[in-house]
Amino acid sequence: MNLHLSTPTLRFLHFSRLTGSFFSLQEPKLNGCLNANRDALRVPEEPDRRTPRPKMESSILESIGVEIIGVMSPVSICMFLVVLLVYALSPANPFSTPSSPPIRTAANLVYLENPSDSTAQKLEGALLNALVFVVIIAVVTFVLVALYYFKFTNFLKNYTRFSAFFVLATMGGSIFLSIIQHFSIPVDAITCFLLLFNFTVVGVLSVFSGGIPIILRQFYMVSLGIIVAAWFTKLPEWTTWIVLVALAVYDLVAVLAPGGPLKLLVELASSRDEELPALVYEARPVAPPQNGGSHRTNMGLLAAGFSQPGSVEMQSVSGNSGWRNDVDGSRDTLGNDEGGSSRDGREEISPLVSNARQRRSSSSDSPEYSAVNVSTPNRVGHFGDRDSQIEETSPLVEAVHAGNQREQAAMEDDDADDNLGLNRGIRLGLGDFIFYSVLVGRAAMYDLMTVYACYLAIVSGLGCTLILLSVCRRALPALPISIALGVMFYFLTRLLMEPFVVGISTNLLMF
Amino acid sequence: MTVVAGIGYVLIALGPSLSLFVSVISKKPFLILTVLSSTLLWLISLIVMSGLWRAFLPLSSSSWWPYSLLIITSVGFQEGLRLFFWRIYRKLEDILDAFADRMSKPRLFLTDKMQIALAGGLGHGVAHAVFFCLSLLTPAFGPATFYIERCSKMPFFLVSALIALSFVTIHTFSMVIAFNGYSEGNKVDQVFVPVVHLVAGLVTLVNFAHEGCLVGIPLLYLMALLILLHCSKMAWRRLTENRGRLESSQ
Repeated sequence: MNLHLSTPTLRFLHFSRLTGSFFSLQEPKLNGCLNANRDALRVPEEPDRRTPRPKMESSILESIGVEIIGVMSPVSICMFLVVLLVYALSPANPFSTPSSPPIRTAANLVYLENPSDSTAQKLEGALLNALVFVVIIAVVTFVLVALYYFKFTNFLKNYTRFSAFFVLATMGGSIFLSIIQHFSIPVDAITCFLLLFNFTVVGVLSVFSGGIPIILRQFYMVSLGIIVAAWFTKLPEWTTWIVLVALAVYDLVAVLAPGGPLKLLVELASSRDEELPALVYEARPVAPPQNGGSHRTNMGLLAAGFSQPGSVEMQSVSGNSGWRNDVDGSRDTLGNDEGGSSRDGREEISPLVSNARQRRSSSSDSPEYSAVNVSTPNRVGHFGDRDSQIEETSPLVEAVHAGNQREQAAMEDDDADDNLGLNRGIRLGLGDFIFYSVLVGRAAMYDLMTVYACYLAIVSGLGCTLILLSVCRRALPALPISIALGVMFYFLTRLLMEPFVVGISTNLLMF
Repeated sequence: MTVVAGIGYVLIALGPSLSLFVSVISKKPFLILTVLSSTLLWLISLIVMSGLWRAFLPLSSSSWWPYSLLIITSVGFQEGLRLFFWRIYRKLEDILDAFADRMSKPRLFLTDKMQIALAGGLGHGVAHAVFFCLSLLTPAFGPATFYIERCSKMPFFLVSALIALSFVTIHTFSMVIAFNGYSEGNKVDQVFVPVVHLVAGLVTLVNFAHEGCLVGIPLLYLMALLILLHCSKMAWRRLTENRGRLESSQ
């Protein structure tokens, strides 16, 4: 039995908001070329309007909440696809593991659940399983922290590459095979192998190298999450629920408690001003619809030349300390930070510090996707990164750099192809994707009503966490709130709501 | 009756809301968040109601008056929740307006407010459709279909999808009317919405009678039509008023 490393990591979330100063910059353009667009939002008027309206700016409704949706949509897609997979493959499951005992994974080490066991036995076995699983994850996280501390970054990087390859090839391959089997798709072995090979190689390339479009990276992150989550749903029921709860508690402790491994990892990474070694999903900030598009200046070209897309992110960890003092105390509850700034013409970039968290799932046959240290100091892009970071951390030299910064930040939002590498977006660790999907997949094995209830619970938990993040501005665990709400809603729905609703709707009674 | 029929039933119940979502709501992320939160609120109300009624379930399916009590209490609770939703929305509106002022952007327009109300109503409607109709549709994706004796002309899935469609319409647009009524202080609108909701709920009791769904479903669609007409009239009136006011202020 092969145990692989499993390490939860922290989650990095940044927000970047361009605010009124940016829009005031854009106003002359708005009046000119965007009247047509803006009119669509307005109350319908007669076509022969003689005087334009006094304010031609768009409503704020268009731009609020973009980042939250940028994170919620991949989570939703991941959950939806896992549910589809569970439904599609579920009749095939009893046949795919023919008469042999269920897969023994790291989550199953101590106790293999058997439907004929008594409740107390199942509960006890599940608790033991969960304990062992959490201990394994904790140990591996500490090993990862040690490795990172001693700067074995190349090892980490290559190991991550290897595990991503392994996950995509074997686990992904087995899922593809069972889909082909289930739907009787006529495809021959050689084509299948070739397709799988291509898929895997592009996946490994896209996850860690630069030069790959962000959308491909996001796609592979989501598919990694789907594959691992689909495998996790094969765990027996009681074990799944208790492992989820145990992991949520562990996450809370590891990120927030003083000796927690994830907290150590974050502090190490921030003290070195490096990226966390992690597999994270990042949602690049969407350029607002009214960007001029031609706003690139020399600064932009310079930065574009310097930066490598995809791997160099704004390290806002230490840079935030300079900003935090500027940020206004009042903020809206939507998680979009505006941060009133007294300086005119300066963007209120509200970086929210959090840390990338990666969760490694461990199962005996599945490799771990390991953390990788993405930023290597000898990259040119890093220079550009640090450059802009310095600009942000020194309010004293703000007067000098304000001009640059405005353009630069304007560039960030203007950048449609994200090649600038100076963009910041929210990042969510891959482990969060996986465990949310595991919860929903397990709910799918019961009923569609529980799926919907758990989905809503998880999404609202995620929203709460994001809001909390904008208030607390430090690394926050994404699992506890969502998993707690999800588990609660699952059991409430299953026990309370279902007899109620099914009872009345089968009588064609609705309200 | 196979995947095709299953998808067909899903689209009957949720088709218009899907097109509403894609055309209006998906463009503005805030509206998507509104839909999600109103769905969550509806789910919570359903859980609370089922918690309250759990001790009395399962009700016997022969007598209809316990069900009427159930419907009256549930509708009452949901209307109370609508008021609560309105209060939250007021606070949110203030926060958004303050945010807009800080950004030196215009405050929320009337169309924005109506879109938020629409999104809220859509959330309620979608939640209704999913919990009352879609959750029962899983067998419809299989090889057979199902009829119940009380309504033997159409498959059960089709009946429940049609009822769900009318309720989605009622929920979606009654939220717009209700928010408008609360903001204008229009008592007629404020009372209109709960009354229509209650009547629609009680109309479904007709389905208890033998072949009652032949009467019940058209009545439900009548109520949905009523809501649609009232909402469009109200929206037209407010928008033209607003337009007149804006032009006179220029």
